[in-house]
Amino acid sequence: MGRKKKKQMKPWCWYCNRDFDDEKILIQHQKAKHFKCHICHKKLYTGPGLAIHCMQVHKETIDGVPNAIPGRTDIELEIYGMEGIPEKDVEERRRVLEQKTQDNQKKKQQDDSDEDDDDEEAGPSFQQPVTTVQPQGAYVPMTQPGMAPVPAPGMPLGSYSGMPPMMPGVPPMMPGMLPVMPRMPPGMMPMSGMMPPTHGMPPMMPGMPPGLPPHMGHHPGIPHMAQAPPTSTRPAVPATTVSTPQPSVSKPLFPSAGQVQQAGSGVAVSSSAPPSAAPKPTFPAYTQSSATAAANTSSTVAKPGTPVTSKPATLTTTSATSKLIHPDEDISLEELRAQLPRYQCKIPSAGQAHVTSPPVAPMGGVLPPQQGIPAQQPGVRHPMQGPYGALPQGVPGYVPGGMPPYGQAPPMVPPFQAAPPRPTIGMRPPVMSPGGRY
Amino acid sequence: MSLFGTNTGFGSGGTGVFGSTTTDSHNPMKDVEVTSPPDDSISCLAFSPPTMPGNFLIGGSWANDVRCWEVQDNGQTVPKAQQMHTGPVLDVCWSDDGSKVFTASCDKTAKMWDLNSNQTIQIAQHEGPIRTIHWIKAPNYSCVMTGSWDKTLKFWDTRSPNPMMSLQMPERCYCADVVYPMAVVATAERGLIVYQLENQPSEFRRIESPLKHQHRCVAIFKDKQSKPTGFALGSIEGRVAIHYINPPNPAKDNFTFKCHRSNGTNTATPQDIYAVNAISFHPVHGTLATVGSDGRFSFWDKDARTKLKTSEQLDQPITACCFNNNGNIFAYASSYDWSKGHEYYNPQKKNYIFLRNAAEELKPRNKK
Repeated sequence: MGRKKKKQMKPWCWYCNRDFDDEKILIQHQKAKHFKCHICHKKLYTGPGLAIHCMQVHKETIDGVPNAIPGRTDIELEIYGMEGIPEKDVEERRRVLEQKTQDNQKKKQQDDSDEDDDDEEAGPSFQQPVTTVQPQGAYVPMTQPGMAPVPAPGMPLGSYSGMPPMMPGVPPMMPGMLPVMPRMPPGMMPMSGMMPPTHGMPPMMPGMPPGLPPHMGHHPGIPHMAQAPPTSTRPAVPATTVSTPQPSVSKPLFPSAGQVQQAGSGVAVSSSAPPSAAPKPTFPAYTQSSATAAANTSSTVAKPGTPVTSKPATLTTTSATSKLIHPDEDISLEELRAQLPRYQCKIPSAGQAHVTSPPVAPMGGVLPPQQGIPAQQPGVRHPMQGPYGALPQGVPGYVPGGMPPYGQAPPMVPPFQAAPPRPTIGMRPPVMSPGGRY
Repeated sequence: MSLFGTNTGFGSGGTGVFGSTTTDSHNPMKDVEVTSPPDDSISCLAFSPPTMPGNFLIGGSWANDVRCWEVQDNGQTVPKAQQMHTGPVLDVCWSDDGSKVFTASCDKTAKMWDLNSNQTIQIAQHEGPIRTIHWIKAPNYSCVMTGSWDKTLKFWDTRSPNPMMSLQMPERCYCADVVYPMAVVATAERGLIVYQLENQPSEFRRIESPLKHQHRCVAIFKDKQSKPTGFALGSIEGRVAIHYINPPNPAKDNFTFKCHRSNGTNTATPQDIYAVNAISFHPVHGTLATVGSDGRFSFWDKDARTKLKTSEQLDQPITACCFNNNGNIFAYASSYDWSKGHEYYNPQKKNYIFLRNAAEELKPRNKK
């Protein structure tokens, strides 16, 4: 697609050495076979994730990855799909694959010319470094850019992130769609994922209004696999789809976008561009619902090394592998800092607060401020006139919207004068003095 | 020429002084230092719009002031003016014609600073500190948008004391960005709302956050036709999410990437994860810069999904950044952001704003 291939080999499972066609299936496999909790059957995302889950939820330790071959049971290694596999194992695998292909070729050739050459066995080994270097060389640049390795987990992550917005929308579709989803056996994953070029089987998706032919691009793929169910859902389907062909919608706000968005929002918010825009063959609903079926959870994606935040009061910051450099309270750094007495708002003393000297410089007068002399410009509409010690701090009495002066300084000021909110008022030295802050 | 109230450091003349201290960790990138920096942490930076000739930089700080510098073509910075609030300044922005600067502060007010006359007037009032301020220029209206910790987003015609409109948000506003006709606001509790600004501002969509941690900064990006099409959202967990509003394929088009973390590949020691303090998009190339609590800045190409550059580590976090209107200058501020709490705050420590030539380093990589 848009990225260089990071691995030329087919995805394989580090834990049990099985091969897979697609990384998505690989991940599903790992979750089901290696990262599944034996107590509650919850599918986690990684080995350490499983270990942590068992410890926290069941108070039980596990000493190895389930269903893994000996030597590959390390529960500490963070492997997700093809990510995190130790380099030496990758090489070893490559070598093994090379060897297999070599063996196959050898058997076919049955060449005797190398008999006297006792490098016959060394031959493959010479070639291996040559061949392995190249893929490695290709591999490296991709790991260099900080972003590159991440997209892989990021891709599925992206799919999750794409999902969450979808999730709320999915339920509205559910009534009719539900029957559709279960029809998708895991083997369907690659199909939906790859968006098969239209099978051109509209009839397969009965009940879907003709207005959605492009969406059909997906549907056909599904019934294609599981023949029986489609018929049963026929009646159900029309029910949901009624909502989709809504005309208008909220403004095609962002012209570049258009098209079908998350189908869920398409129904709920009806913000997808309507009949127009040759909607692409990809039907987001399916991509995401299939992702849902596979992913099994909605928005939570625990990525390597980062703990999940807990609720408001505090953040969960540390884990064995990482530490968030941030104070524990789950409020923003600015909020935390603004609470300090030193940053509480002060009333400026006379003449210090604002610059009101007349313009002088060429630039149109942006000028060095000097002691503003409020008296100089009475009409200045300055709420902060020194002598008044005004303080438009939104003091409850003053109101939101109760705004200060717009050309009427005098009348406006007195109210402010009335009740300076803070006890520390007025005593503070002018802010402009260096460090003279308390 | 100490233009500003006082100067703890340079101030003798308007020349850009290169790091004159013995240890260079305050400016390892050897970038141009802006003269007369504020006396406390810099919270926000903004360059003047293209409608004005020259480059003028505005910076707001925790010392309650907003300063204006002229950045000359030879790299020299000349302090021009300063205004004060009664509380720390959290955000600043320019009007589209470059004649006014809007400033938002913890003192719950926002002000409009007329640079020609060097006067300020209050134009907004909230019930809590105002965290974000943006100028909106629509064909049929213009206004200032303020986002506050009082959970409201208000829109102000500067001529009136009452807001033109007030929208309720689910939580406190933490960051926002506006590129007409789109506005994005990220709030506490990982809230994320997109607004559309045509005709009048209204909520467009609430998005479930692509990130798992507190939102910290957001920046809208545009497509090839210069229409806003998505945004980059940064969290406190060293991660940025690139999110398109209406992508053809959300699962593939939206993604997140990790950044501002220590010892990347070394798994022996725990990795330190820093907050992303600000994100800025290059106005020409569409590539982005992120700055973090780790004291580094990084440039990224979101289309090629690659990192273009990461800086050396400064001795303080980088709290703000921005590009000038033609993308030749990248400004970033080095000051304490409170990421390690109160204990690590040193009021005596100098704060810096650096300027870097951004013309070359942010060019996108050729897609492989």
